[in-house]
Amino acid sequence: MALRAAILRHVRVPVKTLTLTGRKSQPWGPNGASLRFLSSHGDDHLSKDEVIERVLSVIKSFPKVDPSQVTPDVHFQKDLGLDSLDNVEIVMALEEEFKLEIPDKEADKIDSSNLAIEYIYNHPMAG
Amino acid sequence: MSLTSTAGYVARRAAQRERVRILYRRALKDTLNWAVHRHLFYQDASELRERFEVHKHVEDPDTIDRMIEDGEAQYNKWRHPDPYIVPWAPGGSKFTRNPTPPSGIEIVYNFGREDHLED
Repeated sequence: MALRAAILRHVRVPVKTLTLTGRKSQPWGPNGASLRFLSSHGDDHLSKDEVIERVLSVIKSFPKVDPSQVTPDVHFQKDLGLDSLDNVEIVMALEEEFKLEIPDKEADKIDSSNLAIEYIYNHPMAG
Repeated sequence: MSLTSTAGYVARRAAQRERVRILYRRALKDTLNWAVHRHLFYQDASELRERFEVHKHVEDPDTIDRMIEDGEAQYNKWRHPDPYIVPWAPGGSKFTRNPTPPSGIEIVYNFGREDHLED
């Protein structure tokens, strides 16, 4: 056994660590092995511009809304003249767009596009 | 009557409005669960909206309370047994499927370098 190990040690090819340029360097643990993070979701976050664009497009495609009046801080009931039930419908449409599940109490408080953008941007699972 | 616009009345109406909004939201989601095809959903959603709009101008708080309870009873009767829940939310299919492992654990890949192990 010791002879075999000695022969193998003699014949072993040296390990070269190649670093590819342009790749994120992965964290190295002890013994020179590499760590892999095992999370399957929640890694990618939307940029704020994309969130704003998608929220505004959802609001503009609502039939009772005048598209020219939609700005990133428009209030649904005061500026756009919508009903509280329309508010509920808009929040549901936003939930469907971003594949979110907003709890009832939180959804009730979303009154303007400002709040909607803040909430969606800060949500970890916004898709 | 003299109790219109006391603070208690206003608070009660505000609470009722919130109940109505939450009821409408749940009923709309339930409608989406039942009506899978989108054109059917739009028709059913319009009918639901009409039912809410009919009673829009009722002023008496007790009548409103009774109507809200009626509405909630109807909603409970028609709830879908298998609602669509977003996968990562509680009740969804992906909930706690791959939790992030505790932070101190790492997987060490050192194949071929087990020097200290000899067989």
